[in-house]
Amino acid sequence: MLQYFLIQAANGLVIGILFALIATGLTIIFSILKIVNFAHGEIYMVGGYFGYYVITLLGVPPFPAVLVAMALTFLFSIAVERGLLTPLYSPRIERKADYGILVTFGLSVFLRNIAIIIFGPFPLRPPSFITGDLVLGGLIISYDRLVAAGGGLLLLGALIWFLNRTVWGQALNAVSQSRESASIVGINSERMYMLAFGLGGALAGGAGALIAPIYSLSPSMGLVPDTQAFVIVILGGLGSVSGTIIAALLLGLSENLFIAFLPDPSRGPSYANAFGLAIMMLVLLFRPTGIFGRQHVAME
Amino acid sequence: MRRLDLASAALLAILAVIFPFFVNAYWLHVMIIGMMFAIMAASWSLLAGYAGQFSFGHMGFVAVGGYTAGLLATGLNLPLPLGMLAGVLLSALLGGVIGWTCLRMSGPYLAIFTMAFSEVLRIIIVTEVEVTGGAGGMNVPQLFHARTDLPYYYLILALLMVSVGGMMAVVASRWGLFFRAIRENEQAAAAAGVKVTRFRIIAFAIASSLAGLAGAFYAPYIGILTPDVASQDQMGLVVAMAIVGGMESLPGAVAGAIVVEFLVEALRSYGQWRLVLFGALLLFTMRFARNGLIAPGWLRLRNLAAPRGARLAKEAAD
Repeated sequence: MLQYFLIQAANGLVIGILFALIATGLTIIFSILKIVNFAHGEIYMVGGYFGYYVITLLGVPPFPAVLVAMALTFLFSIAVERGLLTPLYSPRIERKADYGILVTFGLSVFLRNIAIIIFGPFPLRPPSFITGDLVLGGLIISYDRLVAAGGGLLLLGALIWFLNRTVWGQALNAVSQSRESASIVGINSERMYMLAFGLGGALAGGAGALIAPIYSLSPSMGLVPDTQAFVIVILGGLGSVSGTIIAALLLGLSENLFIAFLPDPSRGPSYANAFGLAIMMLVLLFRPTGIFGRQHVAME
Repeated sequence: MRRLDLASAALLAILAVIFPFFVNAYWLHVMIIGMMFAIMAASWSLLAGYAGQFSFGHMGFVAVGGYTAGLLATGLNLPLPLGMLAGVLLSALLGGVIGWTCLRMSGPYLAIFTMAFSEVLRIIIVTEVEVTGGAGGMNVPQLFHARTDLPYYYLILALLMVSVGGMMAVVASRWGLFFRAIRENEQAAAAAGVKVTRFRIIAFAIASSLAGLAGAFYAPYIGILTPDVASQDQMGLVVAMAIVGGMESLPGAVAGAIVVEFLVEALRSYGQWRLVLFGALLLFTMRFARNGLIAPGWLRLRNLAAPRGARLAKEAAD
C-alpha cells in the first residue's frame, strides 16, 4: 500500500512539473498582454505534434527534438499573436479583455478541430526517450517520466534565469508592471508582447513534446491541461511565476493522492479533474488574487 | 424605420409558420435544431453582449434543463411537461446562484469560473453512470406521439418567439439600460444608482433559464441526452452563432444560429471541416468585423431602403 502511494506521489510530482511548464506560459502571457489565453492547451497540443513530426519525419533524435519543437511552437505562437492579437494594442478597441477571451476561445475550437484533419483522430506516440523503468526499492518509475521531469526542471530553471538575469527578462518585468513607464525608458512594448506570447507558447510546446512518450498525442489532449492550467494560475495568483510553479507541484501531488485515497477506483481519475476545478472555484470566491499572488495584479 | 422592422418581423413570422409545408422532414428537423440553438445563442448574447458577463458555462445550464426533465420523467415518472418546467426553474435558480457567487468577478475570472462550473457538471454526468447513463447517454421519453415533427416545430417556434420577444422587451426597457450601464462601467453604474448586484443576478437568471428551456426541449425531441451537450465544442458553436449574428443584437443572434445550423447541415459531407470552418468564421468575425456579420448587414440594407429624403435629414441631423 505504501508503495502504491509512493508511486502515485512520484507520478504526481512529474505531472506537477509538466503542469508548471504549461501554467507558467499562461501566467507570462497574462502578466504582459493582460489576457487569459483560452487556446493555451491547444498550443501545448501543437507543440507535442511538432515534436512527433520532427522525430518521425526529420529523424531528429528525441532529446534535441524537444528543443526544435519549442522553437517551432515559439514561431507558431508569434504568428498567432501577429495575426489575431494586434487589435489588443490599438487604442481604437474597447473592452480589450472581452476581445482577448473570445478570440482565443475561437482559436482553441479552430485548432482542436483542424488538428483532427491534419494529424488524424487517432493517438500517436513518438519513440521513448529512454526505454525501461527505474526500480528503486519499492518505487518503480519509467525513464520517460524521469526524463520529462528532469527536462521540465531544466526548462523552468532556464526560464527563471531568463526572467531575472537577462535584459529581456527585465524588460518583460517592466512591461508587466507598467506599459507606459516601460515605453518611457525606451522599451518597445509591442516587441515584448511578441516575446511573451512566443515564450509562453514555447513553454507549453516543450511540455507537449516532453509528455508525448508518456501519454501519446491526440487532438483533444489540450482540454484537460487547459482547465488544469487555469486551476494552477488561479491558485498561484495570476501573473506570479514562482507562485505558479509551487501551485503546479501541489496540484499534481494532491490530484494523484486524491486518486489514491478515493475508495472508489472507477471514479477516482475522472473526479481528480473536478477536484482541482472545485478548489479553483473556492479560491476564486474567497481569495481572487490566489494563494501566492501579487496583490496589485488586476485586469485593465 | 421602426415600421420597416415590424413589417419584416411579421413577414418572417408568417414565413416561419408556413415553412413546414414547403420542406421535407429532414430540413424541418434542421430548422427545429436551428431554432433551439437560436434560443441558446440569443440568451448568451443577452448575458455576454448586453450585460457584459462572459459566461462559458451556458451549456452547463442547457444540460441542467435537459437532465432535470429527463430524470424526473424517467426516474420519478412525472409527466414530461412538468419535468421540463422543473428543468427551466432549476436552471433559473442555479443561474441566479452562480450570478450571485460571481458578483466579485469579471472578465476572464468570470469566464474561467463558469467554464469550471460547466466542466464539473459534465464530469459528474459522465461519472455517475447509474443515474445519468454516463457518456453513453440517457433515454428520454417522447413529448408528442405524432408521426411527424410538426408539433415539435410549432412548439419550438412558439418558445423562440416568446423568449426572444421577452428578451427584446427587457432590453428595450430600463432594465436593458441598466444591463448596458453595468457592462460599460460597474462602478459608474453603481454611482448613478443602478442596483448592480440585483441586475447582474437577474441577467444570469434570465439567460440561464432560457438555456435550461432549450435543454428541456432538446432532451425529449432528440430522445437521448449525452454529456456532450455541455462540451466546450458545443459552447464554441453557440458563441460562433451569437458572434456571427452580432453580439449586441438579439435578432442577429437568432439569425446567426439558424444560418450557421443550416450551413452545418449543408456542409455535412465535408465532415470534420465544418467545425474548422466555424472556428475560422468566429476568428474572422472577431478580427475584422467585431459587430458581427448579420446585424450590421441588415442595418445597411435597411438604410438603403429608407427614402432618400429621410436619409438626408438624418445625415443633416448627425
